[in-house]
Amino acid sequence: MGLNKRPSILLEIVLILVALSFLFPVFFLVESSFKEPRYFFKPFALPHSFYLDYYKKALHDMDFFRGLWNTVLVMVGALALAIMVASMAGYVLSRRTERLFRYAYLFFLSGMVIPTVGSLIPLFTLAVKLHLMNTRILLVLIYTAGFIPFASFLYAAFTKAIPRELEESASLDGCGPLRLFFRIIFPLLLPATGTFIVTNVYGIWNDFLTPLIFLNQPEKMTLMPQIVQFMFNKQSVNYGPVFAVSVLAVLPLVVLFAFTQKYMLRGLTAGAVKG
Amino acid sequence: MKLERKQYWIACLFLLPALAIFGLFFYYPFLQSVYYSFTQWNGLKAPVFIGLDNYKYIFSDQQMLDGMKNTLKMVAFGLVVQNPLALLLALLLNRKFRTRAFLRTSFYLPIIISLVVTSIIWGELLKYDGFFNGILKPIIGESHIQDWLGTVYTSFPTIILLTQWQGIGYCALIYLAGLQSIPTDIYEAADIEGAKGFALFRHITLPMLMPSVTIVLFLTVVGALKLFDLPYLLTNGGPGTSSYTLFLAVYNAAFKAQNYGYATAAGILLAIFIIIVTIVQLGITRKREVEL
Repeated sequence: MGLNKRPSILLEIVLILVALSFLFPVFFLVESSFKEPRYFFKPFALPHSFYLDYYKKALHDMDFFRGLWNTVLVMVGALALAIMVASMAGYVLSRRTERLFRYAYLFFLSGMVIPTVGSLIPLFTLAVKLHLMNTRILLVLIYTAGFIPFASFLYAAFTKAIPRELEESASLDGCGPLRLFFRIIFPLLLPATGTFIVTNVYGIWNDFLTPLIFLNQPEKMTLMPQIVQFMFNKQSVNYGPVFAVSVLAVLPLVVLFAFTQKYMLRGLTAGAVKG
Repeated sequence: MKLERKQYWIACLFLLPALAIFGLFFYYPFLQSVYYSFTQWNGLKAPVFIGLDNYKYIFSDQQMLDGMKNTLKMVAFGLVVQNPLALLLALLLNRKFRTRAFLRTSFYLPIIISLVVTSIIWGELLKYDGFFNGILKPIIGESHIQDWLGTVYTSFPTIILLTQWQGIGYCALIYLAGLQSIPTDIYEAADIEGAKGFALFRHITLPMLMPSVTIVLFLTVVGALKLFDLPYLLTNGGPGTSSYTLFLAVYNAAFKAQNYGYATAAGILLAIFIIIVTIVQLGITRKREVEL
């Protein structure tokens, strides 16, 4: 493939043009959110000045920061819970060879193939029965349950690389199992934790369906259903404020993406490691 | 001996929280849905066992049928068009372009944009008097311009193309991760043997890349079967039932029509579908995987 040769400049120009067309919708979103109404539908007319009225209007008409708070709360809760339970499970799945653990492995594995559509309704009735309907805790639990198979396998794969002697000497020194795990093993599994977070933040932040079904109070709503609600309330009127809110909702992810892009690639390679 | 037992039970305790959460919020609802799929049930009265009637009815329900047809189209498009393009893109992004960092970032950026925001942006761009038609007008002529999301023939194909905005970059990202894990000395050895161009790709890159192919194919199929946000927000399945997906039909049966038993049956059908596709596809690609 001529791996070390520089590819032709013509090919590069074609690729740059394609890349720009991929970037255009994002550019359009940001640009339009700063544009006076009479220029709104003319994408090539650049904004004359920073027109901030859409942002003012959006923040006035929609409780954006509440949505942001709810989203962060659910995201941090789900990631933290999943990391805690899956790291413990993954650790013993990789260390123990008894039948129970082999079955648990298969049990989790089957979860990666079973889709959740059909389960939405029983989950709905389960939530009602447990009095968890309309709570952010429910979302945390549903997301965690969905993460557990992938996360456990990820932790199991990383545990394999940790020498057993470490645990043996620590327990000879009288270190209890919980302390041993959280003080010695868990810090060594940090790359797995990083991988897990970097690859799953986006999924929770951007999820629309789960909060749509399981939350119905505005004060608990996460960002995505909140934006859709805002859009439906504004039908036929200017889309400016909807664009402004969208920019605000995307911004934190873009910042995160800028810092973690490298790790995303690495995370996907790690995810491909056969457990 | 006593210590051995104790350690076993401690390990069990380590496994327990994950098992409990996964069992209660993932497996239990799934098993219940299998049962409910054989019943008539609206969530208020007790479910009534009706055997296979729900499953039979699916095949005479226009929403479900169009949903299935569209979902299959999406799967086919993902496998035949999206995957080869993504692989090509990954091969290109792996080469030493001067602007490589810029190129990669531009193709990855759409991945992190939510489907809600995606549908807001593209809904504007694709309006009849929107930006997209403004560009097309001089090229294909005013008479061919249409409301792409608003006609029976163009609504779903348009949605499929929209999924590519994120789909191609996402799949390319995974392929690129695979490409970078191929040790370079293999290429050096092949170079000495005199292997070149396509032969190199066919006999080294592709076989070494098979694990990534397995993952990408799996994700493409699952992604296609879960397609919900875009049709829900952009067309709501319309016009008529032309842009329904199976997932959207299940959602409507459940949360609009309150026909829970029926909706779970369609969900189970979708599940069976995914499982079959996964097994077939794993059977095909796993055989070709090279163990590293």
